[in-house]
Amino acid sequence: MIACENLTKRFGHFTAVDHVSFTVSKGSIFGFLGPNGSGKSTVIRMLCGLLEPSDGRATISGHDVARETDRIKSLIGYMSQKFSLYDELTVHENLMFYGRLYGLSGAGLLQRRDELVALAHLEPYLHRRAGLLSGGWRQRLAMVCALVHKPSVLFLDEPTAGIDPVARRELWDLLFEFSSIGMTLFVTTHYMDEAERCSHVGYIYTSKLVVCGEPDDLKQLPVVNPPGTKRLDVTCDHVTVGLQAVRRLPGVRTATVFGQSMHLLVEESISEQFIRERLDGVGIHQTDIRPIAPSLEDVFVALTNRNSGDGK
Amino acid sequence: MKLLFRGFNAILYKEFLVVLRDPLTLFFMFFPPLIEMIAFGYALDNDVKHMAMVVLNEDRTVESRQLIDRFVNTQTFRVVGEVQSVDEMAAAIRRGKAYIGLQIPPNFTRDLHAGRNAQVQVLIDGSSSTIASSALNTALGVSFRESVFRLLGETGRRELPVEVRPQILFNPAMRSPNFFVPGVIGVVLQIATTFATAMSLVRERERGTLEQLLVSPLSRWGLMLGKLVPYLCIGMVMASGLIAIMNWLFHVPIAGSLSALFAGIVVYIFCLLSLGLLVSTRAQNQIQALQMSMVFIMPSVFFSGFIFPRETMPWIFYAIGSLLPTTYFIELARAVILRGASLADFWQHLVILAGMGLALFALCALRFRKKIG
Repeated sequence: MIACENLTKRFGHFTAVDHVSFTVSKGSIFGFLGPNGSGKSTVIRMLCGLLEPSDGRATISGHDVARETDRIKSLIGYMSQKFSLYDELTVHENLMFYGRLYGLSGAGLLQRRDELVALAHLEPYLHRRAGLLSGGWRQRLAMVCALVHKPSVLFLDEPTAGIDPVARRELWDLLFEFSSIGMTLFVTTHYMDEAERCSHVGYIYTSKLVVCGEPDDLKQLPVVNPPGTKRLDVTCDHVTVGLQAVRRLPGVRTATVFGQSMHLLVEESISEQFIRERLDGVGIHQTDIRPIAPSLEDVFVALTNRNSGDGK
Repeated sequence: MKLLFRGFNAILYKEFLVVLRDPLTLFFMFFPPLIEMIAFGYALDNDVKHMAMVVLNEDRTVESRQLIDRFVNTQTFRVVGEVQSVDEMAAAIRRGKAYIGLQIPPNFTRDLHAGRNAQVQVLIDGSSSTIASSALNTALGVSFRESVFRLLGETGRRELPVEVRPQILFNPAMRSPNFFVPGVIGVVLQIATTFATAMSLVRERERGTLEQLLVSPLSRWGLMLGKLVPYLCIGMVMASGLIAIMNWLFHVPIAGSLSALFAGIVVYIFCLLSLGLLVSTRAQNQIQALQMSMVFIMPSVFFSGFIFPRETMPWIFYAIGSLLPTTYFIELARAVILRGASLADFWQHLVILAGMGLALFALCALRFRKKIG
């Protein structure tokens, strides 16, 4: 559905996107991750025909995004990072505006508006100004505005930034609904739990695509699971004290706090008993240790470290 | 045609709603022009009347007092005080208490009666050239008239050998507002409309809504026209208000036909809005839009003939003036309002304005990049 080949964007001497290649198949939810300024939005903007690629090419349904810009406009919906609706207009008026923008009119326009309102459950807010909606509802409205012309690909640039967890979950439920009817979704996000929900993920770091694939496959990568190591979850009191103690142990490669527990990457030879004794020595007596699989975050941390030349 | 202006109806719908929903923007569109109009209309008054004058009368005779009366009777001067010395007179002018000093020497009446040249000294504050030249002309006029009538009395003739009987057409009272207010309308309309359109597109750029428009099949002609039409309507409402103020507050009669005047206004506003849009296609933020608009507004104030007559300008400023829509509008408006000219007399101005407007509009649609960055 989407195919990029060596897609590159340079702004003067700065390369914002450096030879990025990947494909997204129809009906998948592609999660695009990376820190701020890594080039996520630039990729989306090139795919939407808003920016001219400096090098390489990208196609959507076989249409070149740079040369057939007008053709792809009917295929794609785009929800930009900034809230991009008109605050002064009501929900109804925003929908009518976007409908007309895509050439709808009369009964067809009203019918489409009703469908979209029902889809996002916006009925109670129909005549409220967009500027007065809460974050979650604004995002829903923005999303259905981007769907007014029934696109086959929907690009969402950080759709859940700054909205509450409940709204975030509801938004994702909506995304799964779209996916189930065959729409392809391309989503950028900062949240690892959102990445876990995607059928495919790509990770971009300092303008380069570091990795791309299905989450489960990525977790099997050798770089994530170095030979002779295992991952452990250690739940205990005083996690921060424990972390200091564990970090100094020989054979512990990485140690990170996760709420009430720590995630350790340790050498195979290190026994759970050894860790338990060590923690006992710093006054932590209640410890619960179990082996775990790597998370996507572990995958990205491992890959980032390898890429920045820090092999530890 | 439908494809060329694709999305026009959507933009038009939205733009009207946004403009009407934003009372602050509307207020700032309407209020400053009204204030500017009233301020400019009152302040730009070249009619010099009742200038402060101090008198040093060393003669103290009936004749010398008559001479002072003659000065006062011109309505140009009023006596604000008597002084006792030339130094005191000069000090009064220096301090700004008076523009004019009139000194009548002790032997004025004696010389007059003896048939000698009776001299009177007038000191004029030259800081403001307009005031000074008006004072000078009036003072010379008074002395000339006085001399001629005395000579006439001596020869026994009753009438002047030559008399010019001026008849002033079109602005018989020679009131400054009649000259200035049509110009003020031109300048004030430019300030309001250019800013408004320049801001409207830049605001979309800043708020990120432009990006959303760019991924839609909206054509750039549709976008530009959709942005322009609502402001054209607002501009016309504003122009009507300004014309009404001119007529009722400043009592400037409209000699020509209103339809001719409004034909000129429509074309002029179209021209200004296109200029504003052109600014908005280049400016990245509202500050830039503001500064770029000022680049066009300042010359319009100085070189359009609004205050200073263009005919006396160095050729370079005259040439700059010829490039400004305001120049043509002010000429047209003055012709229609003051001289009752019909459009047939001034169709070239209308054609030039329309040509400028279309060229600017085409330029901004062509320059507008449907890409970002």
